[in-house]
Amino acid sequence: MSASPLIEIRQLVKRFGDHTVLNGVDLELFAGDIKVVMGPSGCGKSTLLRCLNRLVEPTSGVIRFRGEDITAPGVDVRALRQSIGFVFQQFALCRHLTVLDNVTLGLRKLRGLRRAEAEQKALHELDRLEMASHRDKYPAQISGGQKQRVAIARALAMDPAVVVFDEPTSALDPVMSREVAGLINRLHQEQVTMLCVTHDLVLAQNIADEVIFLDQGVIRAQDSIARLAANHADPQVRAFFGREGFSA
Amino acid sequence: MSEWQSFVGDLVEQWPLLVTGLGQTVLLTAIISINGLLGGIAVFYLGLSPRRWVRRFINGYISFLIGMPLIVLLFLMYYGLPQWGIRVSPFAVAVLGFTFNVAAYNAAYLRTAYNGLDASELEAATAQGFSHRQIFGLVILPQVLRLSVPALTNQVILNLKDSTLAFLIQYTEFFARVQELASTNFQFFKAYAFAALVYLALVSVVVVAARLLERRIIIPGSMR
Amino acid sequence: MSFLDILRQLSHGVGYTLLVTLACSVTGLLSGLLIAGSRQLGGAGTALLLDVYTYIFRGIPVLVLLFVVYFGLPGLGLKVAPLLAMMLSLGLIAGAYLAEVFRGALGSVDASEILAATASGMTRGQIFCHIELPQMLRFAVPGMVNEFTTVLKYSPFAYTVGLPEVTKEAMSLVATTHRGIEIYLAVGVVYFAIFRLLMVFIRGLERRFEIPGMRPA
Repeated sequence: MSASPLIEIRQLVKRFGDHTVLNGVDLELFAGDIKVVMGPSGCGKSTLLRCLNRLVEPTSGVIRFRGEDITAPGVDVRALRQSIGFVFQQFALCRHLTVLDNVTLGLRKLRGLRRAEAEQKALHELDRLEMASHRDKYPAQISGGQKQRVAIARALAMDPAVVVFDEPTSALDPVMSREVAGLINRLHQEQVTMLCVTHDLVLAQNIADEVIFLDQGVIRAQDSIARLAANHADPQVRAFFGREGFSA
Repeated sequence: MSEWQSFVGDLVEQWPLLVTGLGQTVLLTAIISINGLLGGIAVFYLGLSPRRWVRRFINGYISFLIGMPLIVLLFLMYYGLPQWGIRVSPFAVAVLGFTFNVAAYNAAYLRTAYNGLDASELEAATAQGFSHRQIFGLVILPQVLRLSVPALTNQVILNLKDSTLAFLIQYTEFFARVQELASTNFQFFKAYAFAALVYLALVSVVVVAARLLERRIIIPGSMR
Repeated sequence: MSFLDILRQLSHGVGYTLLVTLACSVTGLLSGLLIAGSRQLGGAGTALLLDVYTYIFRGIPVLVLLFVVYFGLPGLGLKVAPLLAMMLSLGLIAGAYLAEVFRGALGSVDASEILAATASGMTRGQIFCHIELPQMLRFAVPGMVNEFTTVLKYSPFAYTVGLPEVTKEAMSLVATTHRGIEIYLAVGVVYFAIFRLLMVFIRGLERRFEIPGMRPA
């Protein structure tokens, strides 16, 4: 593992009008790492992710990706986006494309691969996520968990430096959530670098030893869920992590 | 610029005739819009008949008239009826032909809105003991009419534009007067472009009126 | 003269009716796509300009625009052939209506799919071509069918600029036989048959390109 982080966020601030969403966030992510960011809805989790690939323009602060400040003018945003795989809450698969074509679209149009090469690569990724047998189905014909696996395959097919997950389980039932958690663990073992924002405690507990707690635009705590739930000084933090029905 | 002067001169000279023509266009549009609405409601009502042959006939009527160009219907009456010794004025042909045609379209809009109604509401009314006609008048029609306002007002705009067809059966409405204007000075482009502007202005008046109407009669929660 | 004789006589005009309908539908389709696409990809200024364009073309009667083009433009030194005049009037008006249909259909494309494509590094143009356009065309089918049948029903205007289509054939036939009722009823039957055939053709196309879970709203 190299000494310098893959992603380094320093004093990131994002304001929408006079509403401050991120108020000086610091975060580091090393290659092969997995980090989980948690927090109540509206805490700025999604905005943090969207700043990484400039879907949202940061107000101030520095984001270094492989050492390069990607908030600087003149950065090739499209190249940046191609090296960050994004997995969305709502799966966001194209309804008019088959499972296979959903994965090949980026390979063909962004990487310039021929159809045969793209399909070979896509099938490899789909196979890895046990979705190859569904290659000719349309999104409407597969389950939510299966859609999420295709969305992950689509992200992985582009060989990204990091995969970011935006609430990957919030549209799934508990069984499917556990499946996704297992999948993320496997990818972690395969040294895929990942950053995940979620408010799903089960998912967080299953995929990371430590979580980062983001609230009102700042990082309030970083520790294991059990310790945050049991003995954090802030009662709000204890309440968030000690939610009903969850046992550490 | 003498061309323009002569055009404007002719325009001023024929102004009274043009205004009369414009009046005929507005009158025709108003009559066929009202007739078409009433006829559309009648056709829609018959289409809900418990008797199957009535429904079949109405379905046939709607699909045949929607599938057939209006101008053919007008020609059928204008050039066909004299064959049976029936002489009808261009105005009467226009009113009758448009009414048949517009009623079919309006009935189709009303039926689309009806298909989107909540079936349980109709069941409840039936269960309360209302008659077929009462349910139509008290439950179905008020809702369906409100839901169809955008389609029905759009039909008025189409009626206005289609009223130019009446000129093809020798009814001297506005476009026929413009035709006369053009043939006096042979400045066809200016004359027809002038007509286009006038129709655009008339359509705009209907558009604004339709928006005002829509805003007034929206039922909260019933519009998607 | 039997009803069949009449139909046989009218059939000489069917080719022109189909030609006019097809030419105007294609003009409408292409101009509608161009408008909807430019509106989607262009800025606020472009959108305003195109909205004004579609408002104007939807506010002018087909017959009036046809006369502007066919009888008016020669006065400005532009002689326009009859079929081209139909395309520039009926075709462009259909295009303005279709642009509205396409605009509505573009609204049915899921925003999350577009966001995901943006996040993957696609350009605005790539997103339009590969995601918005193919979905939009499917959502727009009912509106397109409606517009193409409207074009068919306005195609008789071609007789006013001298194209020998079905209505024109009927007019000359009535002039010689004075059997208006049978002849125009036959004309109605011919248009109804063309309309039905068009529907069968479109249903076939629809089935060919059908995608599960993507029915037009």
